[in-house]
Amino acid sequence: MIEIEVIRRILTSVRSALRGIRSAPLVFVISVTTLSAGLLLLGTYLLIVQNMRGVLENFGQDLKLVAFLDEGATDVDAMKHTLSELSGVQAVLYVSNDTALVRLREDLGRDADVLDGLDRNPLPSSFELSLGPELREEGSLRVFAKQVEGMPGINETRYGEDWVQSYGRILRAMEWLGLGLGVFLMLILGTVIAGTVRLAVYSRNDEIAIQRLVGAGGVFVRLPFYIEGAIQGGVAAAVAISLLYALFGLGLPVLGDILVFLLGKPVPDFFGRQEMLALVLVGISLGVGGAMLSLLRLEERT
Amino acid sequence: MIQMYHAEKRYEGNVYALRDISLTIERGEFVFLTGSSGAGKTTLLRMLFGADKPSTGQIIVAGRNITKMTASSVPELRRQIGVIFQDFKLLPDRSVVDNVAITLEIAGVSRREIRARAWNMLRRLGLGHRLDHRPKALSGGEQQRVAIARALVNDPPLLLADEPTGNLDPDLALDIMDIIADAHARGTTVIVATHDPSLLDRYPHRRLVLDQGRLVTDRAPETYPTAIGRAALPLP
Repeated sequence: MIEIEVIRRILTSVRSALRGIRSAPLVFVISVTTLSAGLLLLGTYLLIVQNMRGVLENFGQDLKLVAFLDEGATDVDAMKHTLSELSGVQAVLYVSNDTALVRLREDLGRDADVLDGLDRNPLPSSFELSLGPELREEGSLRVFAKQVEGMPGINETRYGEDWVQSYGRILRAMEWLGLGLGVFLMLILGTVIAGTVRLAVYSRNDEIAIQRLVGAGGVFVRLPFYIEGAIQGGVAAAVAISLLYALFGLGLPVLGDILVFLLGKPVPDFFGRQEMLALVLVGISLGVGGAMLSLLRLEERT
Repeated sequence: MIQMYHAEKRYEGNVYALRDISLTIERGEFVFLTGSSGAGKTTLLRMLFGADKPSTGQIIVAGRNITKMTASSVPELRRQIGVIFQDFKLLPDRSVVDNVAITLEIAGVSRREIRARAWNMLRRLGLGHRLDHRPKALSGGEQQRVAIARALVNDPPLLLADEPTGNLDPDLALDIMDIIADAHARGTTVIVATHDPSLLDRYPHRRLVLDQGRLVTDRAPETYPTAIGRAALPLP
């Protein structure tokens, strides 16, 4: 019985929220437009971050740690097995000193004849370790390299320290920028919603007073405004995603060459279902949060 | 139904709206609250439905102590009370039936039952042909009948009316009073604030007279109708 009454009250509040929107459609349109613009900005940024992260991830896949062997190291198979068992190691390739010399010749190309004067192969044998994403972060990679260096038969390790450091810095910068932009937009958009709901509260002051007069409690009075905020936020997010998708489609032919240069592919990835749902939830949360903010001071006793 | 013990309402600057009011109103009584403008009638009614708290003293309505009541428990009290105002306080953008339905919506009644009860109440008050009209399309008397329907549709045990006929011509005023009297006859405790002498003369009910915030006279119904020099009960 209690559940039925709760459902009835929610339905009544939904009807009241829709009535509120119908009674002031211009305010609703202005609010949704402003929110959509903000969410479009946020969505565009997230889309860029998502694609750049993908690019960085691809670069990261090529990251290798090279472990050079002592000159006298003999039990190569056992060492290879031990290395491949280490956490985060995806593959281990043994490169003999002869293979290393062949590679060097290929790299030197026309200048390879400088190697002809050598009376013996000076290059050490090595293992090339392909690393998983968990070892692409600077700190963990440094620790891992030390661990490998400490193994018997390993003389020295090398990895793309500079690249790893840059990779970490770029990712961190993007994440901080994203966080800052997110918080900034949330504040702006939350304030917009709060202002809109406050307008709605003012315009429905009489209705609220009468509701209170006939025994409406705080939840009954506030719930329609929360629902109205949620509808505004949800519609704004849907509009923002649709606009972003349209701009995405329109922009691809124009930006094709630039995208190939920047991302290494002509068609970047659009949001998946989860990301779109998350953006809608952000919109709804903004709507409800803004409504809560504007109703903080609503007097209980009238 | 109502007990007031030395209740006072004092505003900033030591301005008294009500002073030392003590009275008891029994369940099922019909009481007129009268006095000149500014005597404190509206303040007293507002305290009875929890819109104001007394500065000192105690007020008990339907077993609830208004003085100690928290804001969150006021709605529960108000669902036991129907209130009518001089200016009707109807929602202009809602139909007549929706204006009445609001009371039942808040009480959590099902939609089908809301329609049925609101229609029945409006038909009983002679507004069956006005269900889907907006309040603006109605006369003053009709609007007040809608307000009464809204106040009574939930069968409250207590009805408070603040100058319910103040904006109406004499014929319509009597019409409204007859409706209120009918609610009383069905068992509702009724308090009507008015300074209209014609109503007071027509309905021989208990009369509480306020003057500058003080209860100066409490006349029992059996002392009516009498001419000049009506007997007055001693104040409690």
